[in-house]
Amino acid sequence: MSAVDLSHITKSFGPVKAVDDVSFSVEKGELFGLLGPNGAGKTTSLRVMLDIFKPESGSVSLLGGPMTESKKDRIGYMPEERGLYQDIPLDRCLAYLGSLKGLSSAEVKQRSATYLERFDLTAYKTKKVKELSKGMQQKAQVIATLLHQPELLIVDEPFGGLDPVNTQMVKDLLLEQHQKGVTIILCSHQMHQVEELCDRIVLIDHGKVMLYGNLQDIRRQFSGHSVTVRTGDRIPTLPGVERIEPLNGTVKLHLLPGTAPQEILRALVAGNVNLDQFEISMPTLDEIFIRVVQGKGEVA
Amino acid sequence: MNKLWLVAWHEYQRHVFTRRFVLVGLLSVPLVILVLVGLIFLIFSLDIDTTPLGYVDSSGLLANPVAAPAPEWPDKPVPMLPFANEADARSALERGSIQAYYVLPVDYLSTGGLRVVHLDSLKASPRAQFYDFLTANLLRSTDPSIANRLVKGAEIIIQSPDGTRSISSKNWFNVLIPIVAGIAFIIAMFSTGGYLMQAVVEEKENRTMEVIITSVSPNQLITGKIIGDTAVGLSQIVLWLVFIVVPILVFRNSLTFLQGIQVGVQTLLLLVFVMFPAFILVSALMAAIGATVSEAREGQQMVGMISLPIWIPYMLTSSLMSNPNSPLAVGLSLFPLTAPLTMLMRDGLTILPAWQIALSSAILVLTAVAAIWMAGRAFRLGMLRYGKRLKWREIFARQKA
Repeated sequence: MSAVDLSHITKSFGPVKAVDDVSFSVEKGELFGLLGPNGAGKTTSLRVMLDIFKPESGSVSLLGGPMTESKKDRIGYMPEERGLYQDIPLDRCLAYLGSLKGLSSAEVKQRSATYLERFDLTAYKTKKVKELSKGMQQKAQVIATLLHQPELLIVDEPFGGLDPVNTQMVKDLLLEQHQKGVTIILCSHQMHQVEELCDRIVLIDHGKVMLYGNLQDIRRQFSGHSVTVRTGDRIPTLPGVERIEPLNGTVKLHLLPGTAPQEILRALVAGNVNLDQFEISMPTLDEIFIRVVQGKGEVA
Repeated sequence: MNKLWLVAWHEYQRHVFTRRFVLVGLLSVPLVILVLVGLIFLIFSLDIDTTPLGYVDSSGLLANPVAAPAPEWPDKPVPMLPFANEADARSALERGSIQAYYVLPVDYLSTGGLRVVHLDSLKASPRAQFYDFLTANLLRSTDPSIANRLVKGAEIIIQSPDGTRSISSKNWFNVLIPIVAGIAFIIAMFSTGGYLMQAVVEEKENRTMEVIITSVSPNQLITGKIIGDTAVGLSQIVLWLVFIVVPILVFRNSLTFLQGIQVGVQTLLLLVFVMFPAFILVSALMAAIGATVSEAREGQQMVGMISLPIWIPYMLTSSLMSNPNSPLAVGLSLFPLTAPLTMLMRDGLTILPAWQIALSSAILVLTAVAAIWMAGRAFRLGMLRYGKRLKWREIFARQKA
């Protein structure tokens, strides 16, 4: 059973279609990437998913059905627009947010103590939130999201504004939650982070789904447009090669559309080039992303 | 605990348990009252001059005089000194041992003419005390109880035909009590509404909205806020009442004018059934304003749209007081925003028909519910509008919120 199922969602703001016939599913226990450039419709999709916005058409199933008030206690959401109550102490802020997720005061106390310790914020718990640094507020926001041990975790640009140490800490935390069986939707435009953490992705651009599926399958689907060759010989002019790019002692051959890597291999062998290495390059998610959003990819 | 109450409690404690609330919210009004009362007493005491008054009586009416009844607190008795002739009185006046002297001619009883001589202006209290003294002596042969009644005057009690309401001419301040209560309510109403509007705008400014809205429903959030902030306002009123009622009870025995103060059943009914829903209504409207704007400053400009109709009855005071049952008065009593003050202003002057109280209350309750719905909808539509104002027509447009 899918933890989240979006089916043909459309949402407009005035004349602008922010989300246009978007469908995707997130399996239970999965760490799923929701990708797209700025303004692609990612956050709107999340808000529709969370019932903050009502879609014009389509349906959403969340944890086995439509969103209900009681389900809100099973979901942890960290929006891109971070927000905490600024004028109250951190511990009171966490206590309030935790209580709204159905936690008792004893549970809030015990769990926030653990997280505050882990995030080095224990010494700051009685300080007003506005007195904390931006990074500390980010960490506090992560704590508020995880405090009630959600089954479904939705994090929108979780690494924004974090230094490398804290980025790693959040990454570890997401992996830890993933190992515990929590379903995670990671919404980001930072491809390398998604590539490192997610198994499946959906890529949205201009409100439409451009790519959807297993990350490795997608990379394989976009492979074949370049090959990496290691050789001591000079590379002759080859038909079907658009550009030759030297790269760390190897040469990357960018192929013209319609050219198969096997044709290049045959041409190199026929040209008596001594090959130490011949490898079909797997594109990075960054490359796929750029190709898709620049209109060079295929719509899923 | 229901999330609505969690929101309400959060709102309540974040405003009440602060130094600002204690200093500004609680102590401001009692302090202003205290300062005003102090000033009144100061002005009054500056007006009291116990330097004796002299009199030269050629009429013989003040031979072997009897004393007049003592003036009421805080006024003090002024001794009356007889002089054999005007020259003695004049020199006493010039020495400063008397503040003025009266000359009663031989034919005073037939003409009523008398002279008063003073160097500085003669204040109202000694003047009144001399006339009381004169009256008491003119009536010395009359039954003391009758004489006393004539000196003290009558207490006219205006009573309704069914006897349920009465107003004493001496307890004129009972007419003022509902009006003062109305002003206090309105001050609390707007300070509460201000908290609420601030709270809603603050959550947009701080971007806490999206986090909260995935924990509670927009309706729970807005209703919780309205309840919490209304409770702040009511706490303010209750504590102001304590500050006002306790001194009244303490000084009731020593200050006779306080003994006549009473709050009628009708006033209490109005406070519960008219002022309370009005309070909720104003809070909800202020919350709706907060939900449509993106900055607190912008919201302040829109508050005038609510405060103006609220104060309209005060602008029509003379009309309402001269005819408290006119169609205008009834109309204003039924219009939700003008009802609270109109009802309280009429309360001291007339007997309000039960149907008017019931209808006004029902309209207010329905309007308050509609305002909460509107605030909830505005909240839902406007909660994620950062930096862009929500138009009112969007609230009523047939779109999914």
